[in-house]
Amino acid sequence: MVQLPTWTALSPTLLLGLTAIVLLLVDSIDPDSSNNELLAGVAGLGSIAAAATSVWFIVAGTGLPAENGELISLFDDQLVVDQMALFFSFLVASVLTLVVVASYDYMADKARQAKYYSLTVMAATGMSLLGSANGLAVAFVALELASLPSYALVAILKTNKGSVEAALKYFLVGALSSGVFLYGISLVYGATGSLQFDAVAAALTDGVPAGILGIGVLMIVGGVAFKTASVPFHFWAPEAYEGAPAPISAFLSSASKAAGFVLAFRVFATALMGDAVLAVVDWVLVFQVLAIVTMFVGNFAAATQENVKRMLAYSSVGHAGYVLIGLAALTGGSSDAYVLGSGMMHLLVYGFMNTGAFLFIALVEYWDIGRTFEDYNGLATQAPLACAAMTVFLFSLAGLPIGGGFFSKFNLLMATVRSGTWFLGAALIVNSALSLYYYTRVVKAMWIEEPASGLEIERYPIGLYTAVLVAALVTVLLLPGFDAVSQTAETAASLL
Amino acid sequence: MSNPWIAIGALALVGVLIPLSMISVSALLRPSVPEQGKRATYESGEIPTGSSQQIRFNIQYYMVALLFVVFDIETVLIFPWTVIYRDAVGALGYEQVLFPMLLFLGVLVAGLAWAWRNGAVQWVKSPRATRQLSTNNE
Repeated sequence: MVQLPTWTALSPTLLLGLTAIVLLLVDSIDPDSSNNELLAGVAGLGSIAAAATSVWFIVAGTGLPAENGELISLFDDQLVVDQMALFFSFLVASVLTLVVVASYDYMADKARQAKYYSLTVMAATGMSLLGSANGLAVAFVALELASLPSYALVAILKTNKGSVEAALKYFLVGALSSGVFLYGISLVYGATGSLQFDAVAAALTDGVPAGILGIGVLMIVGGVAFKTASVPFHFWAPEAYEGAPAPISAFLSSASKAAGFVLAFRVFATALMGDAVLAVVDWVLVFQVLAIVTMFVGNFAAATQENVKRMLAYSSVGHAGYVLIGLAALTGGSSDAYVLGSGMMHLLVYGFMNTGAFLFIALVEYWDIGRTFEDYNGLATQAPLACAAMTVFLFSLAGLPIGGGFFSKFNLLMATVRSGTWFLGAALIVNSALSLYYYTRVVKAMWIEEPASGLEIERYPIGLYTAVLVAALVTVLLLPGFDAVSQTAETAASLL
Repeated sequence: MSNPWIAIGALALVGVLIPLSMISVSALLRPSVPEQGKRATYESGEIPTGSSQQIRFNIQYYMVALLFVVFDIETVLIFPWTVIYRDAVGALGYEQVLFPMLLFLGVLVAGLAWAWRNGAVQWVKSPRATRQLSTNNE
């Protein structure tokens, strides 16, 4: 096989960046009219190419250590391409593909399409880059590259008051937590004298100024909590997901959350792991508290909602709590790689099932039949295929063995067992049982309740349908194919 | 050897005390003449129009400021590059020195072209300003 140059290891991220620029150029040629097919086609091709390249690299073993035991690192160790980076660029690119395909119909008659597609791809570039970041400075730049387009995307429906209000709330909380995160970085830099993750870890083995480091670590936790929509920075999530166009909600709640977690995995498992840090500030304990509070807040709030999109938004907060187990159960010892890996597995499965669920909401918004549970009554009589897909998503989110969500939750549970953090496992089980209640409400409304008189669906948009069905297919296929995911995730986690 | 922080603390104390004492002394000494004109916004001798609570400026200045920031940062990155360019080409060859900068500039040019084509650098006049201009010309 031909040996590619080293920089090509970044291809998934570079392809996404290139796609964003091509989209801008296409729009520069004729800014007054927007050619929906061309724009969605370019964005879709770019994202599929990025996802395919990631899979190809993972299968070819690109991110594995070379013969001399070194990983691929670029730009003076500022970027690293390992299996984790490729895993997350695959996740981001495949969610982006689904979102772009769905947007083809959703945004068909809306203004500012070129901006919409290029901003989405730019945000994906940032998220994918975040997976490769090997230093706090690069991580911050990538985080902003992912965040700034997201603010604009939430507000893309300029004339819709809900969209603008959501974007303002998102932006204010985001700006605050970016500031908190940046200040945390500066304090960690002050304590260790370096920004690169390995160098930070090396500096922390001998004595460090405890106060500065402790506050710095807590502030970085805050920045991560915002990006992953966890307590205490979760307030923006329900507002932003509800006000944003539904494909953007799907994108933010899946890809953006995954990007926040890959940042957390890298910062905490690479740079801040070790007894010297844990003696100063026990961030594992902090994450344990945050995980449990996030699970309960998300799920209890979701159970009280009347609006389906808002219910999914809170359930997304709850799922952030589940994935936080991947950090909270890092008790040191042999189980650590498995714990991190199980968090990654859940993010991947969640990427498909949650994106699918939000895209179903996009489909319902496209039909314009309302937002509450009652409005979904009898929807299955009109659109059985889409409703079957939605049922798969919801039951998989709850953790029933109908989709990959069963195995990923099972792995999280096993992670808590192996690391001896039984209370996290208990919280996971209690919350999953609770979540079954509100997910079933949607299923019951769709299949059992009588449809309201006059409920009739005339249009069956091909793009939205394709995206929803493909997401459902992948969710189901992840059930038999879960071994491949879990092996990749565990290998990736053990390399950190 | 006394602690050097004592001197800094004393400096901070003096720094706070001087303005406070000036404010309090002038408050004790000055005559009180309440007058309407003192409450008005100071606009270099002009009679202020409108409220000072609403900041009014043309939103298009924001666009200019945004483009300025982009090119400002570009300049900051290009300057050190030009300084070391000759030596770097000698040591590493063109492809490692010239091409990354060309790529960087290419990305920026693509962004500028897009902004230009979408009218970001076009100075739009408000309908009122256009009306006034046309009445003046008649």
